[in-house]
Amino acid sequence: MTDESVSFSTFGDAELVSLTGEIDLANAPEIGRAIVRRLQSAGKVLIDLTTVSFLDSAGVRLLDALVGDLQDHGKQARLVVGERGPARMTLKLCAFREDLMATDLTKAAAGFKL
Amino acid sequence: MSDSGGQDVTQELRLPWDDDPNDLYEHAPCGYLTTLPDGTIVKVNQTFLTWTGYARSDLVGHRRFRDLLTSGGQIYHETHYAPLLRMQDDVHEIAFDLVCADGKELPTLINSVLGRGPGGEPRAIRTTVFNATERRGYEKELLHARKFAEASEKRVQVLQQIVADLAAAPTVAEVAEAVLRAPEPAFGAASASIYLVDVEHDQIVAVASTDPTTGDWDDMPRSSARAVARVAQRGDLHVIGSLTEAKEHFPDLVENMRRSGRDTVVLLPLTTGPADESLGAETLGVLAFSFTGEHELSDGELRVVRLLGQQAGQALDRARLYDDARRREERATFLGDLTGSMDELHRLLPRVRRLIDHLVPEIADWGGVRLAVGPQGIDEQAGGPEPDEDLLAARITVVTSSSEPYFPPEGDQVGCVVLPLTARGRILGTLSLRMEPDRKGGPTDEIFLRDLAERVALSLENARLYEQERMIARTLQRSLLAGNLPGGDKRFALEAHYQPGSQDLEVGGDWFDAFMITADRLALVVGDVVGRGIEAATTMGQLRSAVRALATDEAGPARVLQGLDRFVTRVDSARMATVAYAEVDLTTGDLTYACAGHLPPLVHEPVGAPEYLLDARSAALGSRAGDTTRTETTRHLQPGTRLLLYTDGLIERRTRTIDKGFEILAREFARLRDAPTKGLTAALADTLVGREHADDVCLLSLTLGTEERIHRRIGAERAQIALLRADLRAWMVSHAVEPDCLDAVLLACSEAVANAIEHGYRDDPFGSIEVAATVTDDAVEVRVTDHGTWSGPMADVGRGRGLQLIRESMDQVLFDRGGDGTTVTMRRGRREAEK
Repeated sequence: MTDESVSFSTFGDAELVSLTGEIDLANAPEIGRAIVRRLQSAGKVLIDLTTVSFLDSAGVRLLDALVGDLQDHGKQARLVVGERGPARMTLKLCAFREDLMATDLTKAAAGFKL
Repeated sequence: MSDSGGQDVTQELRLPWDDDPNDLYEHAPCGYLTTLPDGTIVKVNQTFLTWTGYARSDLVGHRRFRDLLTSGGQIYHETHYAPLLRMQDDVHEIAFDLVCADGKELPTLINSVLGRGPGGEPRAIRTTVFNATERRGYEKELLHARKFAEASEKRVQVLQQIVADLAAAPTVAEVAEAVLRAPEPAFGAASASIYLVDVEHDQIVAVASTDPTTGDWDDMPRSSARAVARVAQRGDLHVIGSLTEAKEHFPDLVENMRRSGRDTVVLLPLTTGPADESLGAETLGVLAFSFTGEHELSDGELRVVRLLGQQAGQALDRARLYDDARRREERATFLGDLTGSMDELHRLLPRVRRLIDHLVPEIADWGGVRLAVGPQGIDEQAGGPEPDEDLLAARITVVTSSSEPYFPPEGDQVGCVVLPLTARGRILGTLSLRMEPDRKGGPTDEIFLRDLAERVALSLENARLYEQERMIARTLQRSLLAGNLPGGDKRFALEAHYQPGSQDLEVGGDWFDAFMITADRLALVVGDVVGRGIEAATTMGQLRSAVRALATDEAGPARVLQGLDRFVTRVDSARMATVAYAEVDLTTGDLTYACAGHLPPLVHEPVGAPEYLLDARSAALGSRAGDTTRTETTRHLQPGTRLLLYTDGLIERRTRTIDKGFEILAREFARLRDAPTKGLTAALADTLVGREHADDVCLLSLTLGTEERIHRRIGAERAQIALLRADLRAWMVSHAVEPDCLDAVLLACSEAVANAIEHGYRDDPFGSIEVAATVTDDAVEVRVTDHGTWSGPMADVGRGRGLQLIRESMDQVLFDRGGDGTTVTMRRGRREAEK
């Protein structure tokens, strides 16, 4: 399940985490563990949520913790969220910081501080 | 006769000289004694004096007759001679040893007469003494001969017993035991030991001893310089008569002889025949026995000893052949059992495990199988201690490339036999076995192990081929079953489930299919092909294509089945396949169906209990004996009706009747009425057959029409939320709910259910949650009810966010926390997407 929900690649000099499908209470913890395992050494991280078809509060909690941890370690994280769609809706409803979100990868990558 | 002038022999002849009576007395050929009744010698002749060496003066008047006897003779004189004489006045042929003047003893025979006076009173005893030296010698010889004969007879008896024992001893060990018992009773030996020659290991093995404290009690190589080995080599009897001889010829014996107080040692080779006669005589063992005190064996004894050696050798030979035969039989049985037991399991890994279970600890202390099969290969082992992994791996590499088994020499570090498993000219892998050096029992020689490897390889190769075929069939089957079901049409929802039989069986012939005949006509089919494996999978694919080709707008189920009947006349492997076929008119809701030997579909309308569709039944495809008149039946289905097509694996069980199976299926189907459509078939299979079912199971379910109101009951499990969401999503899509509204309702509903699971049923994993939703032109309304106990304030950050999301995404939210649980009622307006 996790294998299908998360995949890892790079975009420029950033580590790219692509999430897809539904993220909810049932699979969020597992997805979180999979990401943490891979991101030990990453400096910049892009989290792509454009193909996420559902995101609940557990998913938001996961993203919140992830971004917070990365920042604590002096690393930067940005989210790629489509202009519309379930992920955007949930994050918006939770008042996720707009400055962390971009609508495509290029814009998100450009947003990293030098 | 006298008249004829012949001599009358009754007349005394006159001697040519005068025979002086006194001279006759003195020099008679026997001794004369005259004694008084008390035995005092009063007269004695010269013959007696000459024999005994006494002077007349020594005796007459000085000695009594009894004084001249040995002490034993004196007692006899007292107890027999004197009383007899007094009673009957004479005694005859009494044997006495006289003690001569020089102390030597003279064996004699005595006759005595008691003379009486006129008044009957004893007056004198006259005694004649005959020299019995020669006679006594004969007697002694006779006695000796008798003793000898007795000893020899005893020896023969002992040997006869041993020969009988040998004949009855079926094993080498028992022969050894019997031979070992011989030397003590037969020859008076102090102890005996037996050694056997082990040709295979080039060893002489110390087998048994009546006194193991004597001798070097251990095995030796056949080439050893020790006495036992040298005698075995030479094959003839060796008698070491004394320590001196031992020092000269077999120095290794000296110390032991000295320590155990032995002076004579006999080393007897046990040969299959006389050593001198046939060159072919083979030495199978050595019997060693020893004597305390130097002991000379007579020729007779030596003959018997040699005979014993041959008898024992032949018995050993016989027992060895018998042992061989029995060992061969045991091995054949072992291998037969092993392969029989392995063949019970079709799949490779279980078969490998069973192999190891059979070998460890029966014939090895540790066993491992490595096979270069499949992506990861197989590496199974059992027992212990394990050999060094690196050394073993290196050895396995050598064996794999050379294809030659490896038998470790003594002291080898790996300590493992490594056998290549070769079948059909290909090395599958290796079987490694470790036997502890002191291991007893179980055949472990090379011939046996090679044989074992050969059998094992063949059995494992068969399992590998089975596995390969199974995989091909499985792949083929998956590719056939994996085709997308028609969907995206709000007028119906399909759900299928295929569960292969538990591990050891081949792919079955169950299949399902669903396709659109026209835009408004849906075809459903579930079937079961006879047989298993690749052929069944292929046939299934052909039937599936045939159904698709035959199903046209005009045909209908009966004509489709007729077409399939024609089809199976050409594809014989499809004969006797069963098929349940149904068509649904999505505009009218009419269901038309037909069953060819297949179990009846199950239908559940929104109101009432589920019922089986028992009409339009006929025999299996191509049946010759059954009724193949194909008919079809049509019935109208209400929106919201669920239809289930399935294969027999779902309800057939050895432990219950099929009626019971039908009953249980109907009950479970009804129970799941409110369960989400998604996952329905899997849940049914789970409840009815479980995971470890031998048979394949195949289900296809159809939910017809759009429900105005959706009502679902789910278990309090996180994974259930996704299933519920799928149902809700499909339901809202079918009602053309706008995307923003839809997403918001899904989110709020998910959070409400999550809350119920996380809080309401925190301590109750078996709780259930009810979700009911209605849609109008203006709004979607959802109600989520649980019966749990909310243990604390909804204050934690995570859930707090959940509640926030519910409130944010919905227009109206009402929490009702009653004593019996919590109900969350939520409403979202459809036109207020841009809230």
